[in-house]
Amino acid sequence: MSWGLAIWAATVAFGAAILAVTRPSAVHALLLLLAALISLGVGFFAMAANFAGAIQLLIYAGAVVAVFVFVVMTIDAGDEAMAAERELLRHAWRWPALIVGLSVVPVIFGIGGGAMGEGDPAPALASDLGLLMFGDWSAATELITLLLIAGMLGVRHLGRKLGPRLRERNPE
Amino acid sequence: MLAYLLLLVPLPPLGGFLLLALDPYRLDRRPVLALSLAAGIAPLVLFLPLAIAYFTGAVGDMIAPAFTLNFGQYEVALAMQLDPLSAIGASTVTVVASCVMIYAADYMSGARVADLRRFFALMNLFQAGMLSMVLAADSIVFFLGWELMGLCSFFLISYNMTSPRAFAAGQKAFVMTRIADAALLAGLLLLFLEATSVRMDELIPAGLAAEESRAAIIAVLLLVGALGKSAQLPFQTWLPTAMAGPTPVSALLHSATMVAAGAVLLARFAPLIEATPGVAAATAIAGVATALFGALCAIAQTDVKRLLAYSSISQIGYMLLAVGMGAPGVAMAHFVIHAFFKSLLFMAAGVLSHAGGGSTAIEKLRGTAYVAPISFATYTVGAAALAGFPILSAGWWSKEAILGAAVEAGPFGQFLWLVALGGAALTGVYAYRPVLCALRKPLHDAPKGHESWLAVAPLIFLAIMSVLGGYLVEPIIHEMGGHAPHAGLGIEVMGALAAITGLIGSVAVTFIPSWNARIKRARRLRAGMQMDAIYYAFLVRPYRRIVRLLSGRDGRLGKHIGEGPEAQEGGMGDPVGTATVVFGLWLARVVTAPFMPDRFDTVIMRGAREAQRAGLWTRRLQSGRLRDYALGFALGLGVLVILGWGMTWG
Amino acid sequence: MTALNILLVLSAGLFLAGLFGVAARRTLLMQLISLEVMLAGPALGFIAAGAHHGSIEGSAMFILVLGLAAAEVALGLAIYLHMRRATGGDSDAATRLRG
Repeated sequence: MSWGLAIWAATVAFGAAILAVTRPSAVHALLLLLAALISLGVGFFAMAANFAGAIQLLIYAGAVVAVFVFVVMTIDAGDEAMAAERELLRHAWRWPALIVGLSVVPVIFGIGGGAMGEGDPAPALASDLGLLMFGDWSAATELITLLLIAGMLGVRHLGRKLGPRLRERNPE
Repeated sequence: MLAYLLLLVPLPPLGGFLLLALDPYRLDRRPVLALSLAAGIAPLVLFLPLAIAYFTGAVGDMIAPAFTLNFGQYEVALAMQLDPLSAIGASTVTVVASCVMIYAADYMSGARVADLRRFFALMNLFQAGMLSMVLAADSIVFFLGWELMGLCSFFLISYNMTSPRAFAAGQKAFVMTRIADAALLAGLLLLFLEATSVRMDELIPAGLAAEESRAAIIAVLLLVGALGKSAQLPFQTWLPTAMAGPTPVSALLHSATMVAAGAVLLARFAPLIEATPGVAAATAIAGVATALFGALCAIAQTDVKRLLAYSSISQIGYMLLAVGMGAPGVAMAHFVIHAFFKSLLFMAAGVLSHAGGGSTAIEKLRGTAYVAPISFATYTVGAAALAGFPILSAGWWSKEAILGAAVEAGPFGQFLWLVALGGAALTGVYAYRPVLCALRKPLHDAPKGHESWLAVAPLIFLAIMSVLGGYLVEPIIHEMGGHAPHAGLGIEVMGALAAITGLIGSVAVTFIPSWNARIKRARRLRAGMQMDAIYYAFLVRPYRRIVRLLSGRDGRLGKHIGEGPEAQEGGMGDPVGTATVVFGLWLARVVTAPFMPDRFDTVIMRGAREAQRAGLWTRRLQSGRLRDYALGFALGLGVLVILGWGMTWG
Repeated sequence: MTALNILLVLSAGLFLAGLFGVAARRTLLMQLISLEVMLAGPALGFIAAGAHHGSIEGSAMFILVLGLAAAEVALGLAIYLHMRRATGGDSDAATRLRG
């Protein structure tokens, strides 16, 4: 367990995230998001959460981002679109920055200031995770599976081809 | 359990009233008579065993609660009670009312069915009112019964709906008693505030414990209420005109029961009257003055019913005198005896005047003694009782008791006794006049009439009671917790002499032509000392003038308070109400004028516009834009985090 | 100030950065990316706390967050594709609910 590496990886992820949410280009933002997710995965490995790190890399940084990539591939990323996106961003960031900034000081001094109790840095095993997820937490697991099924059905519904009657009702 | 029988006593007449008034069955003549008679006599049947048990001591005082409600410290407990006063009063009322109802069944038999139904419905309602008043154990039932009687008397006096005189008489009775009722209501409410309860057994001690000035006000208000209902000075004017009603009405309402309600009221609240010496003296003075006044006016009457009306006024004056002298028991004794002989007199006079051709003028009674001998005999007995014929008549015993009570009450009482004695002598003078007149040989030979037994039976019963009632006087006084006054032989002889003097005077007035002519000339006296005219000149006319002044000749109130003929001719309504309306209109004009471009409205409309604007502004929060909601979410999060940080600070 | 403190501050920073993105960006796609960042923040916090206490619950919570994120991404992208034809992916243009 190397806390130093974990902190470094998390810091990188934070920086990448800041950049990701401020880039005008969707492609750049997606790449930066990918960077943030991968460095988080590295951090997880550094904290001996091997299973979490593995699925972070495989599913999050792999599958989820791949879905994003498919979508981003379809959008227009030309200079005009970039200019339009910059124009949209020019003034819009002030109020959100101010309001989000409200939370920064208490987070730094509230969470960062107090010392957490001594930990018990014993590495956790993936087998324990399985026992927990399908044992005590089975209800939560069931819930999240239901959520995934609901998501799948929702996507199926949203992605359907509109028939002539429905198209009339939804002219776009 | 027996106590609950009390609650049933006023119910049959009330039920009779409801049945007759609503008339769901379209009753015919005979069922109407039967129903009203049954309803009228049922209270007697119900109450008589109770009364006998009570007077023999088999049962004691009891209270039958009907309904209780608590408002904080105030208790409203409706109940009926059996105590000496209510037992005596209710027995008298049930007996006399039964007699009158039987008599009325015969007397009214010629009326149309609809009139008959109306008449008996109201008579029954009246009975119910009187019984509930007498039996009441709380001021609410008492007042309810009291008011019910006032209402019934209005309708019954105006029974003859085709006669404007009857209507005017009913209206007059209603208004006069109403004035007094207002005072009574005020008095009862003040007592209620003192006692925080409506029960008699708490009202009277509370009234006694009240602050002196307040107790005096209460006593005066109660006295005024009694004066009005009992037609005492200065409220006496309504009773003589009330004789416009049929004879049974007079017999029941305006002789024996309703006018005596004032005496019952005073007997009920006698401790409060006695506790305030000034009010007690005022009661006695009002009583004795009325007694003398009534007797004087009665002498001058040429109409037998009016004569009897003035005699009622006079006799109730005696009762008030007794209450004022601190002897409510004596007053109640006279109340009982008076109820017997006065209803007898009215009913017998009704039969006699029928025999004499339908007129109630005393002159027309001439010779009726030979036409209707039984009625005449009973009338004579009644007149003797009224005049207080020594020893033989019941009236003598009760009147002697009153005079004795006055004598015992000290020098002031002895003065009043002297006046009352004069009144008693005058009573003799007027009491025998119709008798002597009826005895005279008829001008034309009239065939011996037929006297219906239905009418005569109650007369005979009441005549017997008017003779034997003398034995009741002392027990009643004892029952009421008083003692029979023993004023000494000299006083009794004086009383007897007064009664005999009255008889002689009566003979003189009837048979000496010059005296008789003098009576016929005494118009002022006949009209009750012109009190009506005085009231009209000093009260009614200015009142009407004020109303007319307030409402304006052009009837400008018409468009506000109605378009009826009264409003057109300037309104004859109530000046207080009219003044309120006029003031209200003036106020509305004055107050609203500065606001004519309605400023309140402007302000309110501005408020409405502002609210609309605020709504539009608030609606922006619901922009539907995802970013804005996220911003709100961030804001809330920031506030919460700062709050959490602040709470865990240090 | 332990390592956990720093990591928690960083996780909060990730969350806030994502929140800023959701609030500031108008393009629906960029808001979805910001949402991913927001979800990553708590994930880091759970893992760090789990590691600190030697407990497996942190990882379990991460799995749940992952499931949530997967469902959200799927739906969000489907909505984006659906809306893009009408509004060009501008979330400000979609302010009305319509059945």
